[in-house]
Amino acid sequence: MIVTNTETIAGYRIHEIKGLVQGNTVRAKHAGRDIMAGLKNLVGGELKGYTELLTESRRQATERMMSQAEQLGANAVVNVRFTTSAVTAGAAELYAYGTAVVAEPGA
Amino acid sequence: MDELLVQLLGVLFLIGLGWSVGSYAERRHLARLAEREKSNGAFLVTQLKSFPAYTGRDLPPQLIVAETVVASDYFKSFLAGLRRLFGGEVRSFQSLLSRARRESTQRIVEEARGMGYNAICNLRLETADVGGSSANKKGAAMVAIIASATAYHCQLPQA
Repeated sequence: MIVTNTETIAGYRIHEIKGLVQGNTVRAKHAGRDIMAGLKNLVGGELKGYTELLTESRRQATERMMSQAEQLGANAVVNVRFTTSAVTAGAAELYAYGTAVVAEPGA
Repeated sequence: MDELLVQLLGVLFLIGLGWSVGSYAERRHLARLAEREKSNGAFLVTQLKSFPAYTGRDLPPQLIVAETVVASDYFKSFLAGLRRLFGGEVRSFQSLLSRARRESTQRIVEEARGMGYNAICNLRLETADVGGSSANKKGAAMVAIIASATAYHCQLPQA
């Protein structure tokens, strides 16, 4: 499946639009990561634990979005966007959405 | 009186720690970023919605995403706290944001490169909300950036 964040796919022609597809996930940080983050806040630097958390959430949301697109019979998702929101302290939602389309090679 | 002195020393120690370790880490990160940006200089990065100089290759265009979360250090948070009294630009946090953005961009570039692409378009940089600290510590700032872009193959005209 081709996934892009552009409205078109270069070298492909969009044949049919299947509609909006979306995927989201809410993830909580575990206490260990929070403690490490607290320590990191003294000396600065990258919070690897949170970066991983975001990466995992994004993958999960994207997978859910892609499986929805598959169910609709699409073979590509274009114009994908990501947004996040903090549901409560310590948990965050990652939401991925895009437009499912049927694309074929050819200009 | 003694307790107050101990507390004051503790805070001073943390500020000193943040200042020394934090600024060392920041300088190193900035140096590494500059190096990576230089070595990836030939890689075309745009935030255009189209595909400049696209060439049809067997690789279809593909979405690439990278996240970076950077924490502030105690010294920076302290400076920001002072700033909040007088108002004005908070320089110490500005560098945090730019580091997170540059790091995310370089991660995308490196991943795209590893997959055989030589350009990205429609680069989007977004701040993310990772939910704050559940302990809700005052002044413990961190910056999360989600960057996304579409990687493709391009052929720039020879100058």
